[in-house]
Amino acid sequence: MTPATSGSEALAIPLEILTSCFQGIIPSWLYTCSKDGIPNAAILSHVDYVDSRHVALSFQFFNKSKRNVSENPKAAVRILDPDSMKAYKLRLRFVRTETDGPTFESMRLRIEAIASYSGLKGIFKLLGADIYEVLSVSEIEYEPGVAVERREAGRLPFTMRALQEFSDRIHQAPTLDEMLDAILEKLESIFGFSHSMILLTSERPDRLELIASRGYLEGGVGSEVGFGEGIIGMVAEAQRPIRITGMMRQMLYANAVRRQVEAGGSCPEDRRIPLPGLRDPEFQLGIPLMARGELIGVLCIETENRYRFHEEDRAYLEVMGGYLAIAIQNALLRERAEETEEPGTGAPAVRSAAARTESSRKRIQVEYYPADECVLVDGEYLVRGLPAKILRKLLHEHATMGSVEFTNRRLRLDKSLALPEVKDNLESRLILLRRRLEERCPEIRIVPSGRGRFRLELLGEVALEERGS
Amino acid sequence: MPTETRIPLELAEFLESGLAVVVGTRDGDLQPDGAAGWAVEVDEERGRLTLFLHEIAAEALLRNLKSHPEIAVNLDRPTSHRACQVKGIFLASRPALPEERELVERQVEGFRNDLSMIGFPRALTAAWQTWPCMALEIRVTQLFEQTPGPGTGGLLK
Repeated sequence: MTPATSGSEALAIPLEILTSCFQGIIPSWLYTCSKDGIPNAAILSHVDYVDSRHVALSFQFFNKSKRNVSENPKAAVRILDPDSMKAYKLRLRFVRTETDGPTFESMRLRIEAIASYSGLKGIFKLLGADIYEVLSVSEIEYEPGVAVERREAGRLPFTMRALQEFSDRIHQAPTLDEMLDAILEKLESIFGFSHSMILLTSERPDRLELIASRGYLEGGVGSEVGFGEGIIGMVAEAQRPIRITGMMRQMLYANAVRRQVEAGGSCPEDRRIPLPGLRDPEFQLGIPLMARGELIGVLCIETENRYRFHEEDRAYLEVMGGYLAIAIQNALLRERAEETEEPGTGAPAVRSAAARTESSRKRIQVEYYPADECVLVDGEYLVRGLPAKILRKLLHEHATMGSVEFTNRRLRLDKSLALPEVKDNLESRLILLRRRLEERCPEIRIVPSGRGRFRLELLGEVALEERGS
Repeated sequence: MPTETRIPLELAEFLESGLAVVVGTRDGDLQPDGAAGWAVEVDEERGRLTLFLHEIAAEALLRNLKSHPEIAVNLDRPTSHRACQVKGIFLASRPALPEERELVERQVEGFRNDLSMIGFPRALTAAWQTWPCMALEIRVTQLFEQTPGPGTGGLLK
């Protein structure tokens, strides 16, 4: 073994060079001993770096270990470098349990996000972050690992230069719609993240809806996440970035969005859009989009590769989240300010020739459930909430007055939509509706026709019905 | 003096299926220590087990065990997280026999297979030094549920 020094002297193997071991990719082994001399061996999910002489161990289910260190603070932990499988042993002394503060919060958020994925919220939880002093570090001779090149490629590629390029490109997007796609496209071309999604807050409290995604077979526009559900919901709840490495293998994304049974007269059950996601993400990162102290959404990135997250990356992530949030909010405000008056306000526009010609092609059954503001198209769930109410209004006006041209301003004045006077998110709701229609019902189109204006195009014969009202 | 506990047949089969084997001991100052084991073999009466670990790992642990024979062995399957902790008393040690190498390698192979299913390719575990081993005989005194969850730490009857 290569013994390291203990006490007040510096460790011969500094903890800072073992950062790969503190990513939670491979579980660690904890050895403790009761005051009666009975040893205990336990496997634990996380050993977190605290500072150059301290680590934090997650305290969840390890009751025996916990009892042991309470009566005998001596412990040892074996950690593994996930790149080389080289093993190290840390001799430890239990110092205290923290139940708040940054170390605890960072561990708690990660663990609760995982718990939410696996349906174990409230059971699989962090009871405390146990802080240990590191007395010595040793290499484990018979687990020397394999030689690996230290690849910088494994690091998160956040640099100020990359962030600058990212912001420059996004700034060029002329509309919010194009900006959302530009964000995800540049995350791939500049940072190499090929799977990502943006969810924005909706008019319903404590819920987020997916408005743009990239890299997935199913786009998932309109899928919902409640605050506190999965990594995205936890990011929204805590308003802090969360990253999870390694532990997600057994957890299915499908659990992230829970289906709710809705009874009688309401939108039939099973009317949720699954959140897209990699089946076995190795790394997930959720970044809150905060503008002027307010959460407007969450950016979620996932990869099948292992990334080594360094503490300094956190600052970059927060900068990125703040920048994106302000960019999105400014785009919303700009579009609203540049809205044009509709020609002949209030007068129904003439039904377009193209729409008339196409209308005989296909019959489309649109059902609106006012009880829970939900729209089905040909029996399949399409959308709910404000986008559902907007679609109903557009189709109704088209059917009764032949309207095809609409403006955001006119929607805002419509009392039936019950938009709040400030921060109504109308633009983002229209984007969501348009994208959802593109995915699920291309025969109904919402086509932008200028700042704050759009056209309804129907490539089929639409029958709108209200159900359960 | 803790009495001998009989390992249920199904559990014995699980323990011998090729798992992560984590061995804990302690010294006279109640300083815990531990090492990786590579394989276990449950005896016919299912009251004792033989633990195989690399001779370098065994050397340090035996220093503890010869004066403080209490031992803990945590066995865990990485893909399912099913786990069990065996508490026992160290009885004796000897170099593992050449004919026992096949048993050790079979269990190590099972463990490697499990790891490969969760993204750790065989190339990463190629440097494991699994032989020569020492064989440590242990009398089983208690069995504990170690699968993560509210039942963790409960006594297995």
